[in-house]
Amino acid sequence: MSQLLQIENFTLGFPGRPPLLDSVSLHVNDGEAVALVGESGSGKSLTTRAALGLFPGGSESSGLVSVQGLDTLTASKQRLMELRRRHASMIFQDPRAGINPVRTVGDFLTETLLRFDGLSRSEATERAVKQLEQVGLRRAKELMDQHPHQLSGGMLQRVMIAAALLNSPDLLLCDEPTTALDVTTQAGIVNILREEQQARGMGMLFITHDLNLAASLCERVYVLRRGEVVEHGPTRTVFLTPEQDYTRQLVEATPVIESGAASASPAAPGPDSAVAPLLKVSGLSKTYQLPRGEIITALDAADFSLPEGGSLGIVGESGSGKSTLARLVVALETATSGELTLRDVPRPRRPLNASERKTLAKDVQIVFQDPYLSLDPRIPVGNAVADVFRLHQKQGRKEAKDSARNLLGRVGIGAERIDALPRALSGGQRQRVALAKALAARPRLLVLDEATSALDVSVQAQVLELVEELRDQLGLTILFVTHDLAVVSRLCSEVLVMHQGRIVEQGPTARILEDPGDDYTRNLIASRPRPLWDAEPVTA
Amino acid sequence: MTLAIQLPQAGLRRYGSLLSPMAWGALAVAAVVVLLSLFAPVLAPYDPDYVDLNNVLAGPGGQHLLGTDALGRDLLSRLMHGGRTSLLGPTIVVIGSTVLGLLLGLVAGWSEGWLGKVLGRLFDLLFAFPALLMAMLAIALFGKGLFAPILAMTIAYVPYVARLAQSLVVAERSRPYVQAYRVLGFRTPWVVLGRVLPNLIPTVGAQSTLNFGYVLADLAALSFIGLGVQPPTSDWGAMIEESRGALLGGYILPAFWPALVVVLVVVAVNVIGEELSDRIGGKLS
Repeated sequence: MSQLLQIENFTLGFPGRPPLLDSVSLHVNDGEAVALVGESGSGKSLTTRAALGLFPGGSESSGLVSVQGLDTLTASKQRLMELRRRHASMIFQDPRAGINPVRTVGDFLTETLLRFDGLSRSEATERAVKQLEQVGLRRAKELMDQHPHQLSGGMLQRVMIAAALLNSPDLLLCDEPTTALDVTTQAGIVNILREEQQARGMGMLFITHDLNLAASLCERVYVLRRGEVVEHGPTRTVFLTPEQDYTRQLVEATPVIESGAASASPAAPGPDSAVAPLLKVSGLSKTYQLPRGEIITALDAADFSLPEGGSLGIVGESGSGKSTLARLVVALETATSGELTLRDVPRPRRPLNASERKTLAKDVQIVFQDPYLSLDPRIPVGNAVADVFRLHQKQGRKEAKDSARNLLGRVGIGAERIDALPRALSGGQRQRVALAKALAARPRLLVLDEATSALDVSVQAQVLELVEELRDQLGLTILFVTHDLAVVSRLCSEVLVMHQGRIVEQGPTARILEDPGDDYTRNLIASRPRPLWDAEPVTA
Repeated sequence: MTLAIQLPQAGLRRYGSLLSPMAWGALAVAAVVVLLSLFAPVLAPYDPDYVDLNNVLAGPGGQHLLGTDALGRDLLSRLMHGGRTSLLGPTIVVIGSTVLGLLLGLVAGWSEGWLGKVLGRLFDLLFAFPALLMAMLAIALFGKGLFAPILAMTIAYVPYVARLAQSLVVAERSRPYVQAYRVLGFRTPWVVLGRVLPNLIPTVGAQSTLNFGYVLADLAALSFIGLGVQPPTSDWGAMIEESRGALLGGYILPAFWPALVVVLVVVAVNVIGEELSDRIGGKLS
């Protein structure tokens, strides 16, 4: 077996700064699928791009990066173009960013065939259509005349895969190609990639932060941390018996569906208990009217209740209405019909006035998904939290600052960071500050809207742990909105599955994960990536 | 994800770095012109209005560094004193239009209902009227001088600021941090004036800097067609107008100097404005 991609002692960095990649060595053989896993900033993308001769401007590199014997560090521009055109293809995370929005799918696919391979228009079209069918797209002929905005993210990623396969590459580089997609869509894409890779005997280097995904697709794996390969070997060996501490941490932090293990809060009363629920929702709907008169139903007659001290997970894919539900609960949206009662107070079906909002703030708070947008960029984190204490606990400037310091300390932000601006903090730290800000209002119900989805797995694990701890200490009621079943299984005793605006199933988390009653839920659970060595679902 | 996070940080690092050589040059030009104008009463070699009919249309050098005009007045002194009126106008217009534009833009951007729509249409309507036309209308109402054009220009430049502020507010309003303020129960005026407004200032400031150059040129044009500052007050636009006769007689310099200064200042201000907006654009991208 010859080495298709060979990287030896590859070091890359900017002059005068510590290297971004430090003596990275890896190889991919013909017909082999290899995973490169690591957290953000570990250098996964840099390594992969180097294989195509793409280096960040102004960087310096040394070592060897060769594809089929061509050294991309020293190769001429022409040889690199030849390499990218004939021998290696790349698939990126965001398919929409890689396609010209004003040209049709057909234009996009046939362009290189027409320009470089000397095919006639009809030949090129025929090849493109065939390729689209091969990646599992139906009505490929009609698709050729459509524009990118008419396609869903999953379909578009299939188009990108088709484009990458058109030149029958020997090496396929995939940079987190399914990260922006829903789980069920991801499952389809992963199948296609696996099938094509095996059928064509291509070499594949698959970058991901998701260990489960790596295990479901690749025989060998390299674990990258801060620009260094810390461990490599057969996927099964590395993940089941990791030798390095870092790999072990990663494996442990990767959420798996834990049945029964859900750390239900102590003495959480069941839904049938006589205690009046903290949050009660019945027949709650939200529709939007588009300018053309079309009506979109974002949330369709939702019914559920959440007892004081309970923890409810709301699971669904994009467009399922789960975020709409979260926004209705915190009154960022107004319901079209139905009732929402929080602490026996019925929610008026109109935007709240200032004093109603202030009262509501003491009952419910929210933490959003994106840690980079959810804090005011100009306000030091200590002041941001102190402002809330001044508003709600009627504290003076100094007292509020002290309270903020205490609370931030409690969520793991040390006093030395109290005057830091959000941009000086990492994603995990920002999410901790957002949590502190929400808790400063001393709410009873905390809504977490994908609050850990944008974080690296190890950071996610820490933040989840913090949420659990705070929940138990403060007796918080939790409404956790997420796409990730595993996270729910860890944090929530009850779960509610949503699909296309409707609640398809609800009940105790353990029961739903073990014995889903609805087809969609079954599909959702089955779509989770499964290791190659394990035909059984990860639930166990 | 990685890239999306790293880009703004790279932009921020650039934000604190030194200005480009081009911007330094522009800043130096602007500073020299402003200082010379500000201290004209002390620095100017002659009384700008002193008429010396024995020494008309003198060339540069000798007693008069830049020469004299058709009435024998010292051109350098008139330029320096003229700067006081020529720069004062745009300064007032820019401050006025920025303050008004920010307020209207905030209101328009924040109100989701009819008010935002009505204000937006009003801005569009104002855009349709050229600033110069508005100024002439105001002059017809209030008479010639500095007051009418400044009032008209202020109104004419409000939509440039307001439209920008409105679109920024609309973008900020949907950001999670602003929504978090709402959920936390902070009152709208506190959020808008105390938290959102300061985040708009850098971008709006860059736009207003650019506006300064345009207003300067517009006001000079008004003076040139005789509707702005009236003689004998010195003003760059008025100086060009007064030199028309000399220009036809083959004497270029009396018109050339004020024209050069107007061009220099407008270009300098534009370079600074572009640099500011580039930097802010880089920061926000």
